[in-house]
Amino acid sequence: MTTKTSLLKVILLGDGGVGKSSIMNRYVTNKFDAHLFHTIGVEFLNKDLEVDGHQVTLQIWDTAGQERFRSLRTPFYRGSDCCLLTFSVDDNQSFLNLGNWKKEFIYYADVKEPEKFPFVVLGNKVDVTERQVSTEEAQQWCQENGDYPYYETSAKDATNVAVAFEEAVRRVLAMDERTDHLIPTDTVKLHRKPRSAATCCS
Amino acid sequence: MASDPLVKIIYEHEGVFIHPSSDDDDGLEQDLLVSGSLRILDKDGEIIVEYRPLEDTVDPSNMLCAGKDSSSVVEWAQCPGERSHQLLETQQSYETEWDMINAVSFRKRPCSNGEGSLNHSHEKSRWAFTFSVSDLRSITLKEEGWCFLVFKLKEPSASLPALHFHQGGSREFLDMIEIIFVYVYVCRASDDATCFLVSTPNKALSQSFENLLDDNNYSLVNKLKKDPYVTTLGGFSKVTNYLFDALRGTEEQQRRPPEEVADLLGEVIPGLEINQQEEPGFEVITRIDLGTRPQVTRREPLSAEDWTQHQDPEGRMINVSHLKQVIFKGGLCHAVRKEAWKFLLGYFPWDSTLEERKALQRTKTDEYFRMKLQWKSVSEEQERRNSRLRDYKSLIEKDVNRTDRTNRFYEGIDNPGLVLLHDILMTYCMFDFDLGYVQGMSDLLSPILYVMENEVDAFWCFVSYMDQMHQNFEEQMQGMKTQLVQLSTLLRLLDLAFWNYLESQDSGYLYFCFRWLLIRFKRELSFQDVLRLWEVMWTDLPCQNFHLLVCCAILDSEKQKIMEENYGFNEILKHINELSMKLDIEEILHKAEGICLQIKSCKDLPHSVSTILGFNTEASGSDLTDSESSPAHIVSHRQDACSNGHRHLTETSHNGCKVAFIS
Ligand SMILES: Nc1nc2c(ncn2[C@@H]2O[C@H](COP(=O)(O)OP(=O)(O)O)[C@@H](O)[C@H]2O)c(=O)[nH]1
Ligand SMILES: [Mg+2]
Repeated sequence: MTTKTSLLKVILLGDGGVGKSSIMNRYVTNKFDAHLFHTIGVEFLNKDLEVDGHQVTLQIWDTAGQERFRSLRTPFYRGSDCCLLTFSVDDNQSFLNLGNWKKEFIYYADVKEPEKFPFVVLGNKVDVTERQVSTEEAQQWCQENGDYPYYETSAKDATNVAVAFEEAVRRVLAMDERTDHLIPTDTVKLHRKPRSAATCCS
Repeated sequence: MASDPLVKIIYEHEGVFIHPSSDDDDGLEQDLLVSGSLRILDKDGEIIVEYRPLEDTVDPSNMLCAGKDSSSVVEWAQCPGERSHQLLETQQSYETEWDMINAVSFRKRPCSNGEGSLNHSHEKSRWAFTFSVSDLRSITLKEEGWCFLVFKLKEPSASLPALHFHQGGSREFLDMIEIIFVYVYVCRASDDATCFLVSTPNKALSQSFENLLDDNNYSLVNKLKKDPYVTTLGGFSKVTNYLFDALRGTEEQQRRPPEEVADLLGEVIPGLEINQQEEPGFEVITRIDLGTRPQVTRREPLSAEDWTQHQDPEGRMINVSHLKQVIFKGGLCHAVRKEAWKFLLGYFPWDSTLEERKALQRTKTDEYFRMKLQWKSVSEEQERRNSRLRDYKSLIEKDVNRTDRTNRFYEGIDNPGLVLLHDILMTYCMFDFDLGYVQGMSDLLSPILYVMENEVDAFWCFVSYMDQMHQNFEEQMQGMKTQLVQLSTLLRLLDLAFWNYLESQDSGYLYFCFRWLLIRFKRELSFQDVLRLWEVMWTDLPCQNFHLLVCCAILDSEKQKIMEENYGFNEILKHINELSMKLDIEEILHKAEGICLQIKSCKDLPHSVSTILGFNTEASGSDLTDSESSPAHIVSHRQDACSNGHRHLTETSHNGCKVAFIS
């Protein structure tokens, strides 16, 4: 009966152009902007949602994918609760690079138990007819790499985008319960707001 | 695990007493005290207060023998009775409360995690009680020599005995109550500081917990946060790990990642410390009075007429420093840009004749198409074996489709503008294969191509611009690091308080300015404003690295909001990112120029600052012919140049080098 808001940090990783920013924007603003700029630097958007009775603020981080920017991108991996590994189903190379993104994330996020870290894999642009990566291939990769949930999304027509983020949240909450079942972390991860927000307590 | 109700002890305090006598007027149990422990439990998310007597109720005499020290016991003993003198005796021997635990030997039972212990009628004692905090109406603190608490429940029939804190700890208990409960239920009744009203949980209240944790005045919380294991809460109090974890958990979730991110960024962007060593007197900055910032005026853009008036009959540009000054003050009319930008960017020499420029364009055209042919003629098979070219190509294709697509020059599918953007970037890869294509370069090219409306001219102007920006895009991004350090130096001079604030929020590396600096505000301003800002910056007036003062000007307008809202690392980054397209270019240029004049007129400018802005070079002095700048300012600048004369001599190697500050 208490008001608890967990702040969860999720990060979208994957090759440039697979649609990370479009997915984030679709999810947070429910719009698809075909004129969107390619990302420079690091950005994030917040989204409040409720999953299985848990109030959650998702902090979704989006970065520029080019190798050159790695050193200024990787510090932001720290503190992530979940990583969304993203490729585009019409770009085989982006699929082949998933493993590298996973490795980079684990290394720079300093993940203590990589086997247990909640990754979710997104195959984006399913609206495109010329696929280079089949559903089966992608599912197989997910199974072999840690039994990650796999979603085929389209930022363009909104397919599976919300579902994928909700699954990410579920994974994180489930993780929290498993690792420290004595401490319901949802009561302690309080969403920090500017101090001026509270006026009732003197 | 799933079937067990999860019961966590949040807080535990032993040595809390009930005075049954106060309810019992027959006097039978007048001397009976019930000693027990008070706990706050979290049972599946419900917060419960539980009082459990120790197995044996305590005879006060027992109690008094044990009470060797604790001032609260002394006070309690001031009630009438023959034993009071007994206590006064023992009171002399001062021992710690911890000794008292041994002496009393209250048996501590291992916490049973609550099985069967949460019933109103605890079978072991008629004095035990529990209630859910959600049933609580108020808690009142009273003092009669010692402290006791009276709990009132919403259900009026259920009256609870007062809890007496004879062994101290009531203050701490209330502190804990406040910490623990305030985030769900409790807030202090404003008119009565001793009474806590319990309200229905709501969001506003829950937020007060975070604020409490933030509140530096909240000493106990701070002590706990700093060192939960050393901070004692009175001898019998025990704050369990649950609360420690809550406190630290909040820290970890809210503070640690930004801190870590900042530390890592610090490794990537070294130099702030170097900076301090290089300038041992740097702290002097704190005492520098910059004086008031002069108001500046800006002018109309330079017209086509004005432009031709600055040409001699052969087409050489004359009175160039005046021309630059006018461009700095007002920019260019769009009609002039196509021509003027070629000079400003250095593609055309200012003193070239029209004929010379035509010849130059001819050779440059040949050169361009030679390089263009190189990538155009690469066969598929060659490309398959050239992964770098392939990568450049695929990224350029992707980025061209994501650059200024709302601009009429690049909108729609198959717009010729897109093809030109692509071809020029590909040709640039051939021109500088080591650098190749790096994201951000399409943003730098787009306005140039838009203005030039010509593939070859756009390419060479872009090459000139890239000469300035090259370091930003290199493997080690040295240009970016240098600029961030320089910006930090300037900001520290201009506004130490703000700089300190940023530092305190792990944002001293100014990472949030990354996009501004990488592509010179291209994404922050409307397309037309980008054209204006760039042509102003290309005049190299009124000082070197003017774009850093543009950063300072924008930050100057945002600092109040950032500090008032108490933004942290993430919020600062978000706030700055979201300024995009909301900035007013003329306001920024006014302010940036004002800041420049303000710094320029300052005596005893730290050497590092003079070096960044190029104030100790002769060139910047001679450029200062602006009729609108006050004479006083010019004088003070000269004085400044004089006073720095000795440095000037020893540091000549730095002069004229734009990024000499930190290599
Ligand atoms: N057809 C289609 N195109 C998409 C989809 N998501 C993104 N795009 C396009 O793919 C390109 C790259 O998207 P972007 O979000 O910038 O990718 P990022 O580099 O991973 O952030 C853009 O031109 C988008 O319009 C999608 O679901 N379907
Ligand atoms: Mg992006």
